Amino acid sequence: MSDWSPLLAVFLVLPLTAAVLTPAVCRSSSTRGWAWTLVTMLVTSVIGGVLIARVATRGPFSYVVGGWTAPYGIELRFDEFSAVVAIICLLGVLAIVFSRRYAERALQAERIPYYYALLLLNLTGMLGFTVTGDLFNLFVFLEILSLSGYALVAISGEKIAEMAAFKYLVMGAISSLMVLFGTGMLYALTGSLNMADITSRLAGATQTPLIVALGAMTLGFMVKAALFPLHVWLPDAHAIAPSPVSAILSGLVVKVGIIGMLRLYQIAYGSGAVDLAGLNLVLTWLGALAIVMGAFFAVFQDDIKMMLAYSTISNIGYIVMGLGLASTYSVIGASVHVFNHALIKATLFLGAGALIHQTGKRTLTDLAGIGKAMPFTVAAISIGAISIVGIPPTAGFLCKWYIALGAMQAGHPFFGFALVFGALLIFIYYIRMVNAFYFREPRDRAAVDVQEAPATMLIPVLVLAILCLVMGVLGRLPLTFIEPAVERLLMPVGGG
Amino acid sequence: MIDALWQNLDYAASVVLFCIGLYTVITRENLIKKFMGLNIMETAVFAFIVALGVVEGGDAPIAGSGATPPFINPLPQALILTGIVVAVSTTALALSLIIRIWRQCGTIEADELREVE
Amino acid sequence: MKRALTAALLVAVAALLLAAVAELPPHGSPDSPPYTHVSAYYLEHGPDEAGAENMVTNVILNYRGFDTQGEVTVIVTAMLAVLAVLLWTGQAEGDRPGPAPTATGSSLVVRFIVRVMAPFIAVFGIYVILHGHVTPGGGFQGGTMIGALVIALTLVLEDTRSAALLPRRPARLLQVAAPLTFFGVGVIGLVLWGEYLYYPRDPSSLWITELLLLVIEAGIGLGGAIVIATIFRVMGAQR
Repeated sequence: MSDWSPLLAVFLVLPLTAAVLTPAVCRSSSTRGWAWTLVTMLVTSVIGGVLIARVATRGPFSYVVGGWTAPYGIELRFDEFSAVVAIICLLGVLAIVFSRRYAERALQAERIPYYYALLLLNLTGMLGFTVTGDLFNLFVFLEILSLSGYALVAISGEKIAEMAAFKYLVMGAISSLMVLFGTGMLYALTGSLNMADITSRLAGATQTPLIVALGAMTLGFMVKAALFPLHVWLPDAHAIAPSPVSAILSGLVVKVGIIGMLRLYQIAYGSGAVDLAGLNLVLTWLGALAIVMGAFFAVFQDDIKMMLAYSTISNIGYIVMGLGLASTYSVIGASVHVFNHALIKATLFLGAGALIHQTGKRTLTDLAGIGKAMPFTVAAISIGAISIVGIPPTAGFLCKWYIALGAMQAGHPFFGFALVFGALLIFIYYIRMVNAFYFREPRDRAAVDVQEAPATMLIPVLVLAILCLVMGVLGRLPLTFIEPAVERLLMPVGGG
Repeated sequence: MIDALWQNLDYAASVVLFCIGLYTVITRENLIKKFMGLNIMETAVFAFIVALGVVEGGDAPIAGSGATPPFINPLPQALILTGIVVAVSTTALALSLIIRIWRQCGTIEADELREVE
Repeated sequence: MKRALTAALLVAVAALLLAAVAELPPHGSPDSPPYTHVSAYYLEHGPDEAGAENMVTNVILNYRGFDTQGEVTVIVTAMLAVLAVLLWTGQAEGDRPGPAPTATGSSLVVRFIVRVMAPFIAVFGIYVILHGHVTPGGGFQGGTMIGALVIALTLVLEDTRSAALLPRRPARLLQVAAPLTFFGVGVIGLVLWGEYLYYPRDPSSLWITELLLLVIEAGIGLGGAIVIATIFRVMGAQR
């Protein structure tokens, strides 16, 4: 390892320490808290960029904290899947920029310093979760991001915010416990907590405990990812949270469950100690169910953020189905959809936040005709809507195409149809939204007679919308980037 | 099967405790009782992991205190110390949410809260 | 109905889990993987290279120190979350000590006992913090005792006097003492030895390691105590 691999540790501890200092730095000035978190996140992004450049040129690398060797110390491992830190940093920076004006109106002044601190902790928790190579360390970062997530839902001050946060907390805590329980079982079987070490020591382990351990952890991650029958906590929590937080929760925090599953797959496939066909079948079916049910519920929502929340459930379905199909194309498609969906959903939630901030209204009925008053924001939302449906030149198309190809490749064309059917439902509700914004007569003309959103809110939304288009054009780039990792993942079972 | 379970009685006990906790979480309507169920589940998992570290006839893992090998496995204890702190943190946040719910809705019974919504 | 259904479901879950734990390596066996793999290394080399005689402390602060840094961040996160949730206009106590529960409720006996016990609890707490590397104990355990002491004193003292237990300005920094200490020690390792959270291991410089461990224990103890007291203070102010 070259001299600068400790950068991987700095990458995590820098924002971690800066975050806990935020209230002390901020005191009563919300501008100072904003600047502090923004600068921290920018520095972190630069470090993240260096790390990604390194993984792109030289492949995965790792750093063991404290100069110990791998199974004895805590290993941080940066592989191609960890490149998801790029989107975490990007959305983090943009959400913080967006919060500048949003927080001032939507949150109580006393809560603002804690809001920024918790937001930064949440982002750092996700960075740590994606980078760590140690199962218990994974749990610790999972708790940092979960605890701050619960509080960020409650912080909005809406009437049922605390109730939504409590529901989220109970489900989240149970799922964390399942992850911890599975970790304990794997430790009992292998005597190690390091993921790579567990992988190499699992061969020949007793089947029942191994399956139960992996099953418990998968179930825990499914709850975190809000996969269909376990999604009950998501709609309220995501709809009630402040909009920048909704963007982070919906775009990134649910993906933590997906990344967790990917890590489990790395262990399970790599060791070859267990047959995953049954689990894959369950995941594929649940994913297909989630696509259809999420989209189905979304069609009936009038509240714009509620609709976006159900749309997240549907999109998680795509990703999980892609993982479950376990063919090269589908896993590549799913991995890239983690990235693209984060981009698109953040565009939509931040755009919706800008609309709500300017008008104080949040239902499609009330927001009808807003397109004339806020042309840029609504244009950005429309680009997001087109992307999420998956219409060709945008970011959403290629990954869904790959998942569909993967369904063919795995010999399950039926799931390809589920995907197309889901896309049709999604098309219905987004076209309904865009139609309402542009072409319907406003119900109350005074309500939509507002200014365009302020620059700190408009710029993040526009940047994201442009990225949706750019990622559509450059769509092959992330696909080729992730390909070696997926091939390595699936190699032992010879899939694809 | 029964013999093996008897051998691993400590693990079996924590499994039973885990399920009792889960039962409490699901069936109780009072939010504080619900959360107590969650605490029981946490304790069950902690007990399970700590029990993994036990070794027949082991001493506390402190060198130079007159204790002799075999020592108890120190790693699970260290993990669970972290786990306990996490549990305390979750409990603190949950209780403060319950305080807010009580102040806003005047009840902390889940079924009554559903009607308030 | 709901209860019966839940119970039936959980019996099935329990049966599955019991089948799994029955097949785990036998409880207490010295040949099981948890005992022979990573921990064997800790037990063999810990006392010579990690700085503390208490091997649990070695694991917590040295081998897996990064976990513990995450852990102290978790508890600070919880404190920030509690503050964020409970702060509300009209009763914005913040880290400003609000009207905590007063002495009116507690009887003479309670007040007397708390006052008599206070110095002993404090001394024992500090002992547990600073002696954690040779006897069972450590930063968190001792910190919790001191935190509990502050809580007990808050219950029996009058408002004005208990407010002085947790002065506002220093409290803001002391709350985050634990993560800050970790960051500081980690950076020292990075600057001097080129590894984050590194402690020297050769026998001649093991005293530096012991010193650094002691600093971290003190930081965790102090930070933990203040965090616990703050959480109680903010919750207690809600009536």
